Amino acid sequence: MKIRIEKASCVGNARCAAVAPQLFPLDDDGYIAVSEIDVPPGQEQLARRGARACPERIIVVEEDAPDGTP
Amino acid sequence: MTQARPLSPAVARPAHVTDAVTYDFDMFADEAYVKNPHDRILDLHKNAPPVFWTPRNGGHWMLLSHKANFDASRDVETFSSEVIPQAQVQAMLAQRPPGSPHFPQPWPINIDPPLHTMHRAPLQKAFSPKAIMALKDSIRELAGELIDAMKPAGTAEFVSAVAEPLPVQVFLKMFGLPVERQQEYRQVVKEHMESISVSDPRAVMMRMLKITAIMRDTLLDRKENPKDDIISMLWQTEIDGKPMGMDEMENFCVVLFAAGLDTVVNGISLGARHLADHPELQRELRADPTLISAATEEMLRRYTFTVPPRRVNKDTEFHGVTMKAGDKVMLFLPGADLDSREYANPEQYQLKRETVHIAFGAGPHRCLGSHLARVELNVVYEEMLARLPEFRLASDKEVRYHGGHVVGPDELWLSWN
Repeated sequence: MKIRIEKASCVGNARCAAVAPQLFPLDDDGYIAVSEIDVPPGQEQLARRGARACPERIIVVEEDAPDGTP
Repeated sequence: MTQARPLSPAVARPAHVTDAVTYDFDMFADEAYVKNPHDRILDLHKNAPPVFWTPRNGGHWMLLSHKANFDASRDVETFSSEVIPQAQVQAMLAQRPPGSPHFPQPWPINIDPPLHTMHRAPLQKAFSPKAIMALKDSIRELAGELIDAMKPAGTAEFVSAVAEPLPVQVFLKMFGLPVERQQEYRQVVKEHMESISVSDPRAVMMRMLKITAIMRDTLLDRKENPKDDIISMLWQTEIDGKPMGMDEMENFCVVLFAAGLDTVVNGISLGARHLADHPELQRELRADPTLISAATEEMLRRYTFTVPPRRVNKDTEFHGVTMKAGDKVMLFLPGADLDSREYANPEQYQLKRETVHIAFGAGPHRCLGSHLARVELNVVYEEMLARLPEFRLASDKEVRYHGGHVVGPDELWLSWN
């Protein structure tokens, strides 16, 4: 599973990191530091919750295909 | 405390506003609104258009729906934060006699990108989640002291006992103001709070000048003798590659004062009121304090309290209405977070709701102090629940509210004896 973030539209709510600090790294100003995240197996649910927590709605989850291929 | 405010006179409707999108609502003085603000908002959702124009307070648009607030907040080119255009402000300032003192303005709250981006940058780190986390213990200590101090009486007016002094003390600590100046500062805060629903621009200007006068010595001192506070940190930053100047520092002081105090006071009080009215929620949170941060988020949604103003920058068709350049617009965020198109049963406080709200706004003007506010809110509720027995609204005292740009209780009497 992958997460894509419209990084330029991040306004620093940091709600994603409040849900999953390891998955969503922030810079020193509290804005998202990356625009793409490979979600480690087992953390999909956390990643989805982190994405849903964004008030700006700029975090998109790309689910793996049903046969397991990324 | 504030007096009941009469309805402002209704102005004539401009030609581009239709009857169908007009609804008479005075955001400062509507009788039902100041009696119970958030109940009245639920009623607005049933009776007013999702974007409406009201003839009160000079005539302005109200964005009621979640989507309208979200879209307008993020479209900074159409919806300007420069309620008075900066060009006009600068022209006015240029007419003052030479050698006039710097006139502090609450930048970056009332300016648009790219100037906004430039002037917000130095503040970001000081208010980042990491920087605020470092303050959490001292905030908890302050909250604990205030709650313990009111506890023995068995009853207290919560706004003046806790909600107001806590953020002020945190602010003074962050700024490193010397103790002897703190009393003067509190006096200005008090004047500010008492005039919260009166918008006299002259009085606002005088207060801004007072704030910078109180802070001037500290500002100058920290430039030479940096300490572990925000002022020292800001001196070491740059704006657009240029070293920080005294004028910018004064602007920062007034913006943090104007945006950072009454807002959180009202947020804390609205949440405390809900807790006092819901002993079953108190029991649930006392049994499992890890639920408090989710409880705080749902409080922020259910009782969103700020109404930031905007100015339409160019003629636009927005959510089915025609707006003209120069129109005034209110981002009615308390309405956005009670919109049934966005939240099922918005009137219900649901601890289990996975709450995502825009109580701190959306777009680049997202509340700079949101991380600090969240810590203050969480810590106050945690300490109240830990230190006080079950508390309730004092039965003989009615909760009184004010409307305006920051909505909340004037007075909130709680009892636990």
